[in-house]
Amino acid sequence: MPQIKKKGQAGAAKNYITRTQAVKKLQISLPDFRKLCIWKGIYPREPRNKKKVSKSATASTTFYYTKDIQYLLHEPLLQKFRDQKVLEKKISKALGRGDVSDAARFERNASNPEKTGKPKYTLDHVIRERYPTFIDAVRDLDDCLSMLFLFANLPSTSTVPAKMIARCERLTLEFQHYLILSHSLRKSFLSIKGIYYQANIQGEDVLWLVPYKFNQRVVGDVDFRIMGTFVEFYMTLLGFINYRLYTSIGLKYPPKFDQTKDDQAGELGAFTLEGLNPVAQDDSTKLLTNSRAEHGPDPKVQDAVNKLVQQLKEGETNGDEEAAPAADGEEEEEQATDGIDKFEPAAPGGDILPQPSYSTNDPAQLFSKCTIFLSRETPRQSLEFILRAFGCKRIGWDAVLGEGAFTTNELDPSITHQIVDRPPIQAVVNEDGDGEDNQTSQKLAPNQRVPGRIYVQPQWVWDSVNEEEMQRPDLYAPGAQLPPHLSPFVQMKQGQYDPTVPLEEQETEAEALDADLADGEEGADVKEITDGAEGMDVAESEEDEDENEEDDEDEVDEDEEDVEEGSDAEESAALQRQIELEAELAGKSVKAKDQDPKTKAKLEARKALQKRAKEEAEDLERAKGMLSKKKRKLFEQMQYTNNKKSEEDKKLRAKRRKLEKEAAKGKAQ
Amino acid sequence: MAPKSTDKKRKASIQEELSDDELNDLDFDGALSQSEDEFDAVSTDEEDEEEDGDDDASEAEEEDDEALLSDDIPSDEEEVDAAIQKLLKEKIEPGTEPNDKDGDLTAEDARGQNDDDDRPNYRVETDANGNERYVYPEIDAVYDSDDSDKAPENTIGDIPLTFYDQYPHIGYDINGKKIMRPASGDALDALLDSIEVPQGWTGLTDPATGKPLQLSRDELEILKRVQMNEIPVDGYDPYPDTVEWFTSFEEKMPLSAAPEPKRRFLPSKHEQKRVMKLVRAIREGRILPYKPPEEREKEEEEKDEVHFDIWQDEQPRDPHVMHIPAPKLPPPSYDMSYNPPAEYLPTQEEREAWQNLDPEEREKEYVPQKYDSLRKVPGYDMFVKERFERCLDLYLAPRIRKNRLNIDPNSLLPKLPRPEELKPFPTVCQTTFRGHDGRVRSLSIDPSGLWLASGGDDGTVRVWELLTGRQIWSVRLASDEAVNCVRWRPTKGTAILSAAAGEDIFLMIPPVLDPVAEQENRAILDVGFGYATSGQQAPLNVGQTPPAKWARPGTKLEDEGVLIRITVRSTVKVISWHRRGDHFATTSPSGQRSAVAIHTLSKHLTQIPFRKLSGLAQTAHFHPSRPLFFVATQRMIRCYDLQKLELIKVIQPGARWISSFDIHAGGDNLIVGSYDRRLLWHDLDLSTRPYKTMRFHEQAIRAVKYHKGGLPLFVDASDDGSLQVFHGKVVTDLMENPTIVPVKVLKGHKVVSNLGVLDVDWHPKEPWVVSAGADGTCRLWM
Repeated sequence: MPQIKKKGQAGAAKNYITRTQAVKKLQISLPDFRKLCIWKGIYPREPRNKKKVSKSATASTTFYYTKDIQYLLHEPLLQKFRDQKVLEKKISKALGRGDVSDAARFERNASNPEKTGKPKYTLDHVIRERYPTFIDAVRDLDDCLSMLFLFANLPSTSTVPAKMIARCERLTLEFQHYLILSHSLRKSFLSIKGIYYQANIQGEDVLWLVPYKFNQRVVGDVDFRIMGTFVEFYMTLLGFINYRLYTSIGLKYPPKFDQTKDDQAGELGAFTLEGLNPVAQDDSTKLLTNSRAEHGPDPKVQDAVNKLVQQLKEGETNGDEEAAPAADGEEEEEQATDGIDKFEPAAPGGDILPQPSYSTNDPAQLFSKCTIFLSRETPRQSLEFILRAFGCKRIGWDAVLGEGAFTTNELDPSITHQIVDRPPIQAVVNEDGDGEDNQTSQKLAPNQRVPGRIYVQPQWVWDSVNEEEMQRPDLYAPGAQLPPHLSPFVQMKQGQYDPTVPLEEQETEAEALDADLADGEEGADVKEITDGAEGMDVAESEEDEDENEEDDEDEVDEDEEDVEEGSDAEESAALQRQIELEAELAGKSVKAKDQDPKTKAKLEARKALQKRAKEEAEDLERAKGMLSKKKRKLFEQMQYTNNKKSEEDKKLRAKRRKLEKEAAKGKAQ
Repeated sequence: MAPKSTDKKRKASIQEELSDDELNDLDFDGALSQSEDEFDAVSTDEEDEEEDGDDDASEAEEEDDEALLSDDIPSDEEEVDAAIQKLLKEKIEPGTEPNDKDGDLTAEDARGQNDDDDRPNYRVETDANGNERYVYPEIDAVYDSDDSDKAPENTIGDIPLTFYDQYPHIGYDINGKKIMRPASGDALDALLDSIEVPQGWTGLTDPATGKPLQLSRDELEILKRVQMNEIPVDGYDPYPDTVEWFTSFEEKMPLSAAPEPKRRFLPSKHEQKRVMKLVRAIREGRILPYKPPEEREKEEEEKDEVHFDIWQDEQPRDPHVMHIPAPKLPPPSYDMSYNPPAEYLPTQEEREAWQNLDPEEREKEYVPQKYDSLRKVPGYDMFVKERFERCLDLYLAPRIRKNRLNIDPNSLLPKLPRPEELKPFPTVCQTTFRGHDGRVRSLSIDPSGLWLASGGDDGTVRVWELLTGRQIWSVRLASDEAVNCVRWRPTKGTAILSAAAGEDIFLMIPPVLDPVAEQENRAILDVGFGYATSGQQAPLNVGQTPPAKWARPGTKLEDEGVLIRITVRSTVKVISWHRRGDHFATTSPSGQRSAVAIHTLSKHLTQIPFRKLSGLAQTAHFHPSRPLFFVATQRMIRCYDLQKLELIKVIQPGARWISSFDIHAGGDNLIVGSYDRRLLWHDLDLSTRPYKTMRFHEQAIRAVKYHKGGLPLFVDASDDGSLQVFHGKVVTDLMENPTIVPVKVLKGHKVVSNLGVLDVDWHPKEPWVVSAGADGTCRLWM
């Protein structure tokens, strides 16, 4: 006889451990355990069978892998926690004895991150453990960035020390600098929650959310200690990532930070990037900041001059290198291999592979030719970041918005675009002369425009960025009705509703028919009757139809086709009669006859469609009947979700149809 | 102490004496040595005393003692002495005793002579028996330790000395020799003693020695102190001043005069280690020069975090198998835009519905909203909360890997043959037979396929023309009972209808045939009467009621065509005919023992085949080709052999309550309908368990029927008002499974008080089915 196995000695019971047991095993307090779990990335598991796992009579709720907890046992941080606990005990003992000086001495030794913003321990080894490679870390950057950007915008409280906020801000700004320099920002989206950004860092897409610059409201019970623990980890992580990113593009990390500039709301401008070697330094500094030196000459003129110089130089080099044409050829070849080649099908019949699109305009240079001025009502931080990331070098803004602008003079002639977000005021338009008199030279009167400059709303920037080309500015002119701002992150699926595609292309056959019918009737009604009650009539007739359909369905069983056709005929006849009656009442001649064959055909088509749908449903029922219970459940679940989605899409389509109709009506009137 | 000291003295003197003996008179009598010793000792003592002079007072006392003792028992002493002398002389043989002494001497000699030659150290003697005896010289231990000069200790133990009063000795020494009573002085001495009490005289006798106990002045002093409860030692200070052996005062001279060890002059290695540690720490910057705490703190704050390339030597490592990365948050959709397309905006109702929902139940945590310019967008008030919840999810939410089936749901569906391929089967309602008042409980199509008989709650049996729906004949069998079952006799050419109403079974001939044929039918029914009257039936026991009574129903009914009434004991629910048409079985579930009865038409005979049935019989059928009989109880269907009269098989459909079953014309397959909404297909060859279970009905299944005319169809009728037609092809090949495909749901009957379709029947040849509904109609589906 084999040995009888005891309960709870092997299998799931051994593999899982409840939270209480884990805390006991590690001999730390629950908050410390929480910290450890957060940092080490240990999360509870859901055992297949909770009853088998829990050894106690009461049901435990949180289970961890025993192996995970064992792994925590060797954590150096654990010792730090214990030390801290001992120290706290010492302090409390000293206080209990009345040894205030002793307590103060201990207190000095204790780490007080609230004050210094830095704990005694470092999380370096944890980061190395959790992310063995850099790419692993980048993959996990979404939450990190969202969290740090939020904390950078939080007010400092007792639970969120100012030091922490300052560090978050610095780290995020440094990260933004990297994105600007490497042009790795891809997309951005203005949502009601905040601004979403998507960057591509070494092939990994990173998406994060930045709140709008408002004082964050803290609603509900939010435990900032937990968030603080996360932020502590994320700060370390982003520090290392920034280091790696900076060094990867040949920059020194940390960049020079100018406290005075930062105090004057310099934001991005408070940093001075330096190259690792002194040669690269000049380039990078020039690259980033709105240096005054650049301000002097007009950029266009400068460009032209530069071009000339370049040509001259090229000519010289060409002259020099004519002796070695072979080398030149090689270079050309190399250059040629750099880009992506287009694969054209040579022979018909092959499958078409998806190919990366080779866009001619580099998104990194999207705004490179523009000099943009931000009005004081626009969100400067986000605009500055996004414009810089897409190649804009010269951004000016109102002095109110802070330090670091290319120009604070709104009348600067080099400005090509101005971003405004204020409504046009129609009431008082002063004469130019008056304006000049009243205002200082820099200020413009309301509604006054500088000629030769494009005025757009901020959405223009975002839409341009997402479309990777400059949008038509007239759509985004101040005061204009803006086109809808669409999320660039939505992955379109087959059959899903797409707001960019016209309605006709995506509605189902049945919907189209329904709509046509409704249209036709309405159209007819509109033509025939100009009474206010027509809408009601339409609705009634539709209802009638529905009822008839239901009746049909009931009777279909008896004799499907004959009866149906009969009822069809009856119905249409009745409809016709009603129309005639109405027309008579209105005192108009019946003009519906010419339309009759069309509507009839459509009605028939709909009938056919309905019949087909019914048959399909019946078939489905039969087939479902032959499934096993388990499979049937599964099938029904899948159907449920699919139906739900398609219902939503249907609703959207219906709404859009209605809106379009209204719009058309509005136009017609 | 005094006696001891005297003892010592005495011993010393004895030794001296002995040595004298050895030296001087070697051959004196050993036997007397003891006593002589004593005497000598005394004498020498006295001599010693005399020699010592007056300096030792104790000796003087001793002398006095002796004098005193001698004074006490002078005569005794003498007598004793004399007696001892005599005894000794008697005891010791003149031969041996001197020999002994000689031995001693020779031993002494031998010690001296051993060096010269090898003489044996024993003597050979003859003992009392005349044998040889080796006599070894007595070993002299030659004690020269202190105890040797002790006065012989009296070893008599704790015995009163008075026991020895009559003897010359007072005890024995350690060697067993007698300790002689010390001799008493002569009378003069005694006199002198009596005149002068010497110093230290106590008048007591030392019990151990028997001498007068003398105590010195010191001893007396001690005794006095003891008496006075004082410390006996003179000059003892019980409370002396403490001597500070170890004091804080440095002494001029060291306690130890040991020279300083070498190690004190060598540099310490341990210290050097400590110093080196410090030096290293300073070099490495771990020990910094002291700074005031404020300054230090400030510096610490200013110190930036150290950054380095943590992934310098990165090595890709596959994530742990059990590790589940946290799912990323979904990207924002169109409706989250600050300026979404208008169709994404919720209507007023949708917005209200969203607001009325509990925040936890909302599908989306936000309502799409449109702002016509960016400056109007407010801060999102749930931002912190949402971030916090994400944090909680990251570390608190248990993670499971859920496999999402990314397949087309339609791929799950089995490939069924198209219904068109399975045609013919009934699809539409062709005729509705209206006329019954109340439910139609049962119906049946006659073997020719022309007529339909039905019976219902109104107690009538009606016969209809099948195709037209025209009622041609009707009879009211009972006014208060419903007709539960209507069945045609299955033989061709006859039109005999059986119907059950209450406890009666009626056999009737509806006027559907020409008179000649009708007459033949009447003959078939009536032949039994002759049989009954001829008395060939088995005689009944006295007092036993017959299982059934076959009789004429009465003239009124007879005129209408009802010819026979069979009255059984309980309400008959089901009638089932044998294929030959001579037998039919009736089932009455409430009938206990007689629930199932088999009636023979030709003999007007009713038999009850089962003495006892386990469970309530529901229905019973004959096997279509073999002499088998199937009886369904609530849970099981039992198959009996009618010839051998034994149980063959028990079929377990697994249903809770079987409502009806039917046997395929081939005889190997069975369908069972149950009140728990199941339709079960049994293959009798395969198993007693169902081959397929079908649950398509929402309500109980009332009736099931196979098509008997060769078409692979079967149908069931349910309380949900629908009939379901199945294609069920039975193949003769054993290896091939029967294909069962649902083909059609026939809906038309209305559900009246939770009852839908109560009975179905197939046309004998065509794929037509008739159904009896609780709504009072019958329907023909074709």
